[in-house]
Amino acid sequence: MSQNTLDRFDPRRIRSAYRGATIEQKEALLGVALVLPSLLLVATVIVYPLFFNVYLSLHRVPLQGAPIWNAGANFQWLLSNGEFWSSLWLTISFTLIAAVLSTVGGLAVTLLFRRAFPGRRLVRGLVLLPYVMPIVAIAFAWRWMFNPIYGVVPFVLGNLGFTELAQLSLLKSSKTALWTISLFEGWRYFPFAFLLIFARAQAIPNDVYEAAKIDGASKFAQFKDITLPELKYIVLTVLLLQIIWNFNRFADVWLISQEFEVLSVFTYETAFTTFRLGQAAAISVVLFLFLVVFVLLYVGVLMED
Amino acid sequence: MSTNPLSLVFVAAKESAATTADRFGVALRRGSIEATIWERIGFYLALAITLVVSLFPIYVMVVTSVAPDFELYNPPPTLLPPLGAITAEHYVAIFDPETFPFVQYFTNSVVVSIVTSGLAVVVATFGGYSFARLDYRGRSAVKKLVLFVYLFGGILLVVPLFKIVVFLGMVDTLSSLMVTYLVFVLPLSLYMLGNYFEGIPKEIEEAALIDGYSRVETIFRVTLPLSMPGIVAVFLFAFVVAWNEFLFASIFLKSTANFTLPIGIVHLSLTFRQAWGQIMAASLATSVPIVVIFLYLEKYMIEGLTHGGVEG
Repeated sequence: MSQNTLDRFDPRRIRSAYRGATIEQKEALLGVALVLPSLLLVATVIVYPLFFNVYLSLHRVPLQGAPIWNAGANFQWLLSNGEFWSSLWLTISFTLIAAVLSTVGGLAVTLLFRRAFPGRRLVRGLVLLPYVMPIVAIAFAWRWMFNPIYGVVPFVLGNLGFTELAQLSLLKSSKTALWTISLFEGWRYFPFAFLLIFARAQAIPNDVYEAAKIDGASKFAQFKDITLPELKYIVLTVLLLQIIWNFNRFADVWLISQEFEVLSVFTYETAFTTFRLGQAAAISVVLFLFLVVFVLLYVGVLMED
Repeated sequence: MSTNPLSLVFVAAKESAATTADRFGVALRRGSIEATIWERIGFYLALAITLVVSLFPIYVMVVTSVAPDFELYNPPPTLLPPLGAITAEHYVAIFDPETFPFVQYFTNSVVVSIVTSGLAVVVATFGGYSFARLDYRGRSAVKKLVLFVYLFGGILLVVPLFKIVVFLGMVDTLSSLMVTYLVFVLPLSLYMLGNYFEGIPKEIEEAALIDGYSRVETIFRVTLPLSMPGIVAVFLFAFVVAWNEFLFASIFLKSTANFTLPIGIVHLSLTFRQAWGQIMAASLATSVPIVVIFLYLEKYMIEGLTHGGVEG
């Protein structure tokens, strides 16, 4: 650090500069000072680790001691690994199915709630519970419901004649897990979609519907020509947010079935079960690249409207 | 881990306050007056299905936590345990420190959550005010960075953060979790408070400035007291995130004495066989604070926005 820059951080100089500053300059200085703690925290706990992760992904990383440069070996391992590719496809399928389920569910419940009925606020609160309850509680409730021996779901399936399904471990078997776990995620997050879509739907002026009714528009026509266009933007936003978050979702999936190997679970196991930290870092670099693409998409959608 | 119900309550409450008049219109004009009996039956049927689907797993949780073992592990599955058989034995078991350190986990979670949300409130109040009221170069860039971080999942940073925590010798400490959670709740906290401050009319602050208060005095004597609903919301939001977090807790913590509730319950499920009654009791006990916060906040937010003299 040169003498000149040291001088700039001299408290006496700052104080005298502060006294001589205009109101705008003082306000700007205060603005920077107030945002600085947030910025420093994000820089040290998010931005720096992000770069450090890229560094780790290019090294063999022992649990103790310094990382050893191994060029692109981790990425080579990753791209030639069948496990990675199947995990990627599973992640994409799971992400899309769960996002569509929760968004469609949220939209459907919104339409239901457009109508006034006694106790609507209470019912709204109850419908939000799947999303409000701690994930660990909800995940174990589902695991118990799906327990192959004592659970209520296999019992009902068996009684309905689906004896083959009833004998599977529905949350773990590779035949069914994609669907049951997507269903779980859809159930967990439809209240999120509902809240956002509902808030937007409440803002549609009622006169529009009145006018449509006077013109003789049917209920379905009103939905198709008024409600849907008004909600298009928020529905798209909710869908994209769900996709972004589902793609990196870990706790939900891990807690309900350790055998559902989406990329987040693959990362976790690579890092903390087999302790190949460098290779795990490489997987999270790939996850990060996906996030960047999603964010660009999101910004694109936002900019369009 | 950035998604959180409470932030949405905030949004929803704002919206609903703005459209109350519209809602009355809906109630008057589109309510029961013109609906045929069949439409009404269909509507209430759909509503009932929605409620059953939403609440069934939670109902199962409640029933299982009070059903005796011989009911749980004998077919058919217990949905309506005989009233006489209802028992508190699972609750007694989890609250008995001899058999299970649930109280310890609970205390750890309370400590982590309160420290995290206290810090989040302080840091986000500063930053949010800076976003809302003060003008300087680079402000919009900082805002964009914060928004980007909001979309992050913890799994993206789990490897480097683990290495850093090991390097700093912070493995198996609750403070490693507090710092991590603080940063992950920061984006939404900044936005919630920034929006809240923007909702307070500039004129109120300008009047205080003209009366001779400095900017900092104005913030503490005028703006912050007016912003209590927003500050409480941010505190509770951060509390909930810290209370629920699983990924980092499962990696940073090693000894059971330091476990928070989510990994504590997983630990319980791995240590005991056929402990579903206890697991459901522990799950429910873990949920109670969160549901209480949620109920309180929903009411508080709507009141704060409608009676606060502040246009949202």
